[in-house]
Amino acid sequence: MHTDEAVNAYIVGQLLAGETYTYDPKDRHGPALTALALPLAKIQGAKTFSDLTESELRLTTVLAGMVTILLFGAAVEMFGFLPCLIAALLFACAPLPVYYDRYFIHESLFAAATFGLILTGWRACKRHSTIQALLAAACAALVLTCKETAVLHFFALAAAAIVFWLWNLRGKRLVGLWRPIAALVAAAVFLLLSVMLFTWFGSNWKALPDLLHAAPNFLARAGGEGHQKPFWYYAQLLTGGWSGRLICGLACVGFIQTVRRRSPSPYGFLAFYALFLAAIYNLIPYKTPWLALNFWLPVALFAGLAIESLWRVPKTYPALGIAIPALCVLMGAVAAVLIAHDTHQRVFVHPADETNPYAYAQTPEDLLGLPTEVEKLALQDSVATPRIAVIASDPWPLPWYLRHFSKVGFWQPGQRVERADFYITSTEAADQYRDQLQDFHPDFFGVRPGVLVVLWSPALK
Amino acid sequence: MIKILVKNLAVLTALLVSIAAIAQDKVPLKTKLPPPLFVGTPVPLNVTNLERPTKAKRPDFLVPAGTLNLAKNKKVTASDNNPIVGTLDMINDGDKDGNEGSWVELGPGKQWAQIDLAKSSNIYAVLLWHFHAQARVYRDVVVQVSDDPTFRAGGTTIFNSDFHNELGLGAGKDLNYVETYQGKLIDAKGVKGRYVRFYSNGNTANKLNDYIEAEVWGKPAV
Repeated sequence: MHTDEAVNAYIVGQLLAGETYTYDPKDRHGPALTALALPLAKIQGAKTFSDLTESELRLTTVLAGMVTILLFGAAVEMFGFLPCLIAALLFACAPLPVYYDRYFIHESLFAAATFGLILTGWRACKRHSTIQALLAAACAALVLTCKETAVLHFFALAAAAIVFWLWNLRGKRLVGLWRPIAALVAAAVFLLLSVMLFTWFGSNWKALPDLLHAAPNFLARAGGEGHQKPFWYYAQLLTGGWSGRLICGLACVGFIQTVRRRSPSPYGFLAFYALFLAAIYNLIPYKTPWLALNFWLPVALFAGLAIESLWRVPKTYPALGIAIPALCVLMGAVAAVLIAHDTHQRVFVHPADETNPYAYAQTPEDLLGLPTEVEKLALQDSVATPRIAVIASDPWPLPWYLRHFSKVGFWQPGQRVERADFYITSTEAADQYRDQLQDFHPDFFGVRPGVLVVLWSPALK
Repeated sequence: MIKILVKNLAVLTALLVSIAAIAQDKVPLKTKLPPPLFVGTPVPLNVTNLERPTKAKRPDFLVPAGTLNLAKNKKVTASDNNPIVGTLDMINDGDKDGNEGSWVELGPGKQWAQIDLAKSSNIYAVLLWHFHAQARVYRDVVVQVSDDPTFRAGGTTIFNSDFHNELGLGAGKDLNYVETYQGKLIDAKGVKGRYVRFYSNGNTANKLNDYIEAEVWGKPAV
């Protein structure tokens, strides 16, 4: 369980215990993920934090990933059948979406809601439909209540819409695009849903002023805070492995083809959205690999468009007859093998390995041994309910791994710590408690690459 | 006054140590250290029952004059003949750099690597670098010396941090340690043997067993 997943799990655990969700403007993002995970956890029988399991929690993000795939069915009208089929297959099988769709973080839900917003927003403009406008508002509220980075996406979408109108539609008059009543109702729905979720159904109104405080916090975070990466980081991540290179290569073909044509099709809009999004995300020094999931929608659709264009070549050049379909089938077979290999390696064989570019500050398997070790030693010493004292400035993800123990306390280094049967300290904190730890035996466990904690257990007699 | 006294006392101590070393024909062990690759986690662990990472230069370790690194470029065998990364000869090729391309990675779980010194020798010190690009602790590190290449009859254990006896070689009492660029210095106390075997059982980052370099400092037995 990644540290971020552990934090989200803890929030679900607090809600299961009957506490109210409190929006934190410094960290932990919005309430949407928790709001969906809570009923799902309850349906699966979880009553307390210690009842929760990885699979119960990850079901939420897996379902969000499945919704994204299903949305391609609704997108056929917009992007065409073959590109949608290919994009859906890429979301279902390619290593990057498969890896992050089962991570209990906000990204998978965020990507699904963004896709929903694009689909319903386009339809609302095209059909002048109030229902679609309301759906778009609901999707926008879901995006915002997922993560504060929604603002970046709203900006990219708005900028793309303006450039698309100027460049592809040549600034032509959009008759009836704006229906004031529909726009007002949509705005009201957006506000209502956002306020409802951020205030946790009206139980915490402090969340609204806190939301305004989030902006300076996230601006500071954008500077990096230890997560600075080079400009080309996402490109490197997306083109990783042979399957990544092939998919991104095809996506580039589809993208160039769209931009060159200057067509008023939704692909024109998608191209500008991808361009603005890439510019924003690449210019911000703060980068984490799961944010690359936001690029997967345009990448998958443009790759699908490129294949569709190739498939249609024989219609223009009949001489090429069977050669092009044969080439497409061959390419498809090669792509399937490469994708299967990369997904198998990254998602199933080495999910927590440091060499896996998706495993970022991942909890190593080693930490799974810590609770087992405590249980074993407690049993040896006939301690039925071991008291565990954790002393660390950043104890995550230990609350998750120690959730089955009923007597666990967390202290900050320097605080007076109660007597315990086991101590878990950060390497920095150990020095301050030398007298208390004198008769304990130390054993190291990895919590993140390069970060260790020490389990102090009663010395063996 | 106190300053002068302390200064004189320090000079006197150094002089006495040197005289004692010369009297026993001992010299400080000189090995070339690789550049450190991480700072941070090896913080002062000033707790008596926890090995303190060597942040500053390690104090001189005295060995008899004429002691050599007998391990360099000697034959290496291992429990895993198909390492995941690198080749077995990297264990004693003299490259102690912590960057990729300098280490051999043996498979998951319990593994060993063994150096044949070619002759039975008196071993005074062993220096071992598993990995030092980040803070890691290797589990169940055991170092044994023997004249039997199969170690069937058992060897002389010169280091054992396997306190749960996971390897079945007996429970050890030596402390776990955080890997650093200075390597782990093990006092072999002149033990005699031709083969040196290094055991480990994964590490705090993964289940694999990495070896950057191993040095065996000693003199061929007469």
